[in-house]
Amino acid sequence: MKTLINKNIQTWCVTAAILAATLVSSCKKDFLNVDPQGVQPETQFWKTPEDAAKAVNSVYANLRSWNNVAFNAIAIESTGSDEADKGSTPTDATFFNLYDTFTVTSTHGTILDFWTGQYQNIQLCNQVLENVPGITMDEALKARFLAEAKFVRAFSYFRLVRAYGNVPLRLTIPKNEAERNLPQSPKETVYAQIEKDLTEAAAVLPASYNAENVGRATKGAAIGMRAKAALYQKKWAEVLSLTNEVIGMGYTLFPDFEKGFRVENENNSESLFEIQAALLLDNKDASNSQYSQVQGVAGHMGWGFNTPSAALAAAFEPGDPRRDATIIFKGETTPQGDFIPATVPNDRYNQKSYVPFNTKVSGYNEGAQQNIRVLRFADILLMNAEAANELGTPSQALISLNKVRARARGGNPTVLPDVTTTDQTALRNAIYKERQVELAMENDRYFDVIRQGRGTEVFGIKGWKANKNEVWPIPETEIEQSSGLLKQNLGY
Amino acid sequence: MKRIFTKFSVLTFLCFLFNYTAFAQNITVKGTVTDGGDKTTIPAVSVQVKGTTTGAQTDVNGNYSISAPANATLVFTYIGYTTQEIAVNNRTTVNVVLASSSQQLDQVVVIGYGTQRKIDVTGAVTSVKGEDISKQASVNPVSALQGKVAGVSISNVGKPGASPQITIRGTGTIYGNTNVLYVVDGVWYDDINFLNPADIANISILKDASSQSIYGIRAANGVVLVTTVRGKNGDATINYNGTMGFQKITDAVKMTNASEYATAVNEAYKIQAQPGKEFLFANTNLGAGTDWYKQALRDAVVTNHQLSVNGATEKSSYNFSLGYLNQDGIVKNNNYKRYTARLANDFQVVKGLKIGYNVTGSASNSKDVPDAIFRNLYAASPVVPVFKANGAYGEPADFQLGNGSDINPQATLDFFNQRTTKYRVTGNVFAELKFAKHFTFKTSAGGDFGQEEKRAYTPKYEATLAQRATNSLLAVDRIETRNWILENTLTYDNKWGDHNLTVLAGQTAQRYKENTLKGTALNVPYSSEGDLYLSLGDGRSIINTGKLNTATSYFGRANYSFKNKYLLNASMRADAASQFYGGNDLWGYFPSIGAGWVISNEDFMKDQKLFSNLKLRGSWGKVGNAGVPINPSTLTVSQAAQLLAVFGKDFTQTGANIRMIVPPALFWERSAGTDIGLEMGFLDNKLNIEADYYNRTTEKAIFDIPVFGSLGLETSTIIANQADFRNRGFELVASWADQTSSGLKYTISGNVGYNTNKVLNVSSGANPIYKGGAGLTSGELATRTIEGRPIGEFFGYQVAGIFQTQEEVNASAQSQDARPGDFKYVDQNGDGAIDRKDKIALGNPNPKFSYGLNTNFAYRNFDLTVDIQGVAGVDVYNGNLSARFGNENYTKKMYDNRWNGAGTSNEYPSADLAGRRNTATNSFYVESGAYVRLRNIQLGYSLPQAITSKWKIQKLRFFANAQNAVNLFGYRGFSPEVGGTPTNTGVDINVYPLYATYNFGLNLTF
Repeated sequence: MKTLINKNIQTWCVTAAILAATLVSSCKKDFLNVDPQGVQPETQFWKTPEDAAKAVNSVYANLRSWNNVAFNAIAIESTGSDEADKGSTPTDATFFNLYDTFTVTSTHGTILDFWTGQYQNIQLCNQVLENVPGITMDEALKARFLAEAKFVRAFSYFRLVRAYGNVPLRLTIPKNEAERNLPQSPKETVYAQIEKDLTEAAAVLPASYNAENVGRATKGAAIGMRAKAALYQKKWAEVLSLTNEVIGMGYTLFPDFEKGFRVENENNSESLFEIQAALLLDNKDASNSQYSQVQGVAGHMGWGFNTPSAALAAAFEPGDPRRDATIIFKGETTPQGDFIPATVPNDRYNQKSYVPFNTKVSGYNEGAQQNIRVLRFADILLMNAEAANELGTPSQALISLNKVRARARGGNPTVLPDVTTTDQTALRNAIYKERQVELAMENDRYFDVIRQGRGTEVFGIKGWKANKNEVWPIPETEIEQSSGLLKQNLGY
Repeated sequence: MKRIFTKFSVLTFLCFLFNYTAFAQNITVKGTVTDGGDKTTIPAVSVQVKGTTTGAQTDVNGNYSISAPANATLVFTYIGYTTQEIAVNNRTTVNVVLASSSQQLDQVVVIGYGTQRKIDVTGAVTSVKGEDISKQASVNPVSALQGKVAGVSISNVGKPGASPQITIRGTGTIYGNTNVLYVVDGVWYDDINFLNPADIANISILKDASSQSIYGIRAANGVVLVTTVRGKNGDATINYNGTMGFQKITDAVKMTNASEYATAVNEAYKIQAQPGKEFLFANTNLGAGTDWYKQALRDAVVTNHQLSVNGATEKSSYNFSLGYLNQDGIVKNNNYKRYTARLANDFQVVKGLKIGYNVTGSASNSKDVPDAIFRNLYAASPVVPVFKANGAYGEPADFQLGNGSDINPQATLDFFNQRTTKYRVTGNVFAELKFAKHFTFKTSAGGDFGQEEKRAYTPKYEATLAQRATNSLLAVDRIETRNWILENTLTYDNKWGDHNLTVLAGQTAQRYKENTLKGTALNVPYSSEGDLYLSLGDGRSIINTGKLNTATSYFGRANYSFKNKYLLNASMRADAASQFYGGNDLWGYFPSIGAGWVISNEDFMKDQKLFSNLKLRGSWGKVGNAGVPINPSTLTVSQAAQLLAVFGKDFTQTGANIRMIVPPALFWERSAGTDIGLEMGFLDNKLNIEADYYNRTTEKAIFDIPVFGSLGLETSTIIANQADFRNRGFELVASWADQTSSGLKYTISGNVGYNTNKVLNVSSGANPIYKGGAGLTSGELATRTIEGRPIGEFFGYQVAGIFQTQEEVNASAQSQDARPGDFKYVDQNGDGAIDRKDKIALGNPNPKFSYGLNTNFAYRNFDLTVDIQGVAGVDVYNGNLSARFGNENYTKKMYDNRWNGAGTSNEYPSADLAGRRNTATNSFYVESGAYVRLRNIQLGYSLPQAITSKWKIQKLRFFANAQNAVNLFGYRGFSPEVGGTPTNTGVDINVYPLYATYNFGLNLTF
């Protein structure tokens, strides 16, 4: 009996084992083919109008990334200028000094990070431009989506060409290894592409959007940005006609200069383009703009970098209200009621990026809600003035210039008298000066002075050298990887 | 069928019952116990009547006398010898010859999917007995192995509940899973933190590729096989082990006091020369100030209780154990509790068929402290009081200290409320069928179910300027794992004539699933722990992610020996894993072969007296690593929150796009390793020496390839199979076991491992991987992994000295940005500028030597264990010194040695240590990480059996033990044991201070 049971059990076990083994091997194929968890494969994307919309949204969202708005943008677009100091304590983030004293070399990380940040925008745009055309959807909306991507691509190339000169011009997604290694295009070619993208975008983009879409690229933004690209190429006639076109579109200067930079007045009547940002309590990861935080009053509302210099404080005409609206001085109380104690490490902070202390939410970036003003109507007017003056029509120049001064005056007739000179040089200097104070701390000054050809005059004392410092070096690792295809900028 | 069913239920009950001892007529049995080798008598051998608590001990002459039933069985036990059971059979004299364990032909070791006679092993396998682990009173089983096994380096992590880092024969991979594979009773794990050390019967460490290759898929980082305790034949044995002790910091770094600090900061300000800020402290005579370490740290109590009951009858065995650990951290508020329960049952259902199960339940509850607390304590300024006179927190901003030292660590601790709870149920069920005389079929199903929850709550508070919260925040992270493994093996085992053959064939399937849920909510009220639910707050967010991978495998092995002289082993494993599905390299094949020659068993060795054992062995094998990212070659859409667009007044619209390129099809990382070993026994195996040479190459390891920044991808690199690494080294183990005529028995065992590590080849060319301490030095990274060099070596500027004068600065390559008192860097390429091109290799974080010296002494009822352990030929990056953003505190050593005017120091920089480029990664911060430590010292006393037997106690032992009591090292930080991931190891930025543990304990066996 017992042996019988033994035998039976043995038979069962062997059978069960064979069954189990067969089972496992027979379903092996399915067993190993597991779906990605919580991620969508690309093969399921680029199918619907919603996919197109999401992709275009990502283009805007990335503009507020660290590489685009924080340390890297400051180092490349602001630190070299005479309007900003490194800020914070002397030993904090000392790398900024490399950019302040023009001792940076091609191997420094920020050189690569700013570069990468702009190309990240461009990559997202190229994905849209390459894949959205194939989606079946409303053709008008599709055209607008493509135009939006072209605007952001042009904007990003503008920031690149200003910073590095000749750069690789990527307009498509590389299909293979060979296409990844792209030579530099001359900066003229890059500018031509910027103008092409902006012209095509302007032809399609609407003048404005509904409340849920405010902040997307508009026709005015595209034309204004094209004017700025033309300004950097000294194409004065184009600058004049493009800015005239914008002036005819109904933009007005926001009456209160200081309040125009507050969160409640974002996307106001003088705004052509802003990088949109928000503090979303239910989405901390999306509240990722650190633009305001890195420049905020140290210890109270941020880290205190990129502080207005003493030279900037001295550049304002007596009584210019913009001085107080641009600079938070140690010991002052802001119009929003924040007292800045004497114990803060810096004498001055950037007020254009300022967000009141009481908006702080722990665990979130301070001032994540502050939009970055990229292109304002005041800039358009000053470009208009400059172009008119260069083309020998000082009267038109004076009209535009004095509009800017009139708003700055804030109703106080005793300050900022109208400029009246019609001498081309004097007027040019007046316009340069106006740009310095009107656009101060908006990452404009550094490249503005360089394009004016005054680099040595203004920054020479800090170590700026002509025929070298007009551009920053090309990142060393990019050159290394290109097997010699990419060429370093002169002097680096 | 019905009968079997009944047997089942009866057996299940039986395992909780104890047998009764049958009464019989007692007789007195006498005899002598001698050593089988040198024929000397052995004192203090335990003699016990099997199945009873009756016992005796041999005297100094090896004689014993015991009263036992005429039909009893006597059990003779002594450490280092094989236990013998001898039936009395009415005899009154029973003389016994005990064989020392090492000379035992039938001694077996645990290998992959089975056991093997030690003599037949051709690879490098080290066994550690469970008692050697449980005896150490370590809270984690892995840390008890430190210094015990040649070639295995273990780096302790001081945090309660954390597992130490273990590396077997060097770092063989840099990507994916770098964990050793732990196999506990057939189930695979990354970590065995859930095991109670007392539940471990044996640990077997497979060190060479041939032994590991039977675990192909995951063997690349080495394999540790754990066998847990099962019931032994005889009556129920009850074991209790308890320890109580405390942990005390041993090598605290002395920081400056308030006066010294203020002096140094003022010096720094003077050098910085900011207009209007010539100094920070008008008065530097500030006394001692706050000692933050003293304020936040303590001597911490640790208690550990382990209780087990086990036994077996002819038809079943059982083991039931409970463990409780309560460990305070050395930071106030920090506490870790762990509860473990384990049940193992085996049933002999019918002859030939055995079934059984193991189940371990573990729960832990940790009151955490912030991860950065040690860095905070280091940086906090001594001028800041803990509390002000009015009771408010000391405010760093009152002193204008700026970033870096703006934290009051007491406030950090007070407002930190985080608990981590972990639950885990794991184990397996198995059936084992012996049939047709030589065959054994075993099937086993293992499961691992875990849940881990971290709940952190920050209240709304206002402590200092930098430490405040405008709103409360609750964050809940929950990770669930559900894994299973199925395993079927068929073994054929036969001996005929001079032949000995074992053949194994097997198949397994595995599935690993992980589900992570992270939620946060703002403004959750807090009146009790019961309020801490996300739904009570607003601004809620949820992130849910998962992982799933599967694998299926087949394997086979043959072990053959002839005349116990000639040995041959060969194995093969084939694995397929979901990570490689769709590629053209789905299956990985991992063969191995080994051969051995037991020279001492040859006839021509018969007459020699020198060697009692001499064996030469060699092996080769391949192992694999499937630990690559899940679905690496699927192009996926990124829908990260960072791509969410905002328009107008915070209208949000989902954003998604492609931000990656997929790497070229990935395949298995494979390592091929050779091992040659020589085993020697001298003087009847009193002296044993084992030497190994190994050479192991990881082929086509997964390595970063940098991609153009201008591609605009989310990451700056992609991965590909493109690097070869090599680990090569020697191991030497020597042990001596003997006893003196006075009865002192002792063993002394030393081991040393030497390993060098090198990146042999990177197929895409010079693509260094830079890692290590990001954010530590203004974004400069401290380690580099590059062809021709060790993995993760330190990399930076070479310091030539300190600038003494401005003239010296002006004449140097740093004329633009240095000041007297700064580091003077060597301009390696002589181009007149100091930049990345001047950086050189500065040190190696991979230890070259690791060694241990383990001793046991037993004299009468006393026993003493002294273990020493250390590493040498290793470097550490002192990131704590270099990471400065402002006015962090200084070490006393830095203060005493600092440059302070021409001629004061050419080694230490000025107090403006954070100025200019002084914090760049450089040779000043690279220090030797060598240390030697008194790992464990333990003195025990067992009560004489004459006393204990009266109390019906088998054994009662008291002991006192100290772990890590003495540490010798030159490193200027708290602990040279830093750890890290392969390319980012040895960078000390926030390391847990070293502490010694002093325990008192008792072992009690009924």
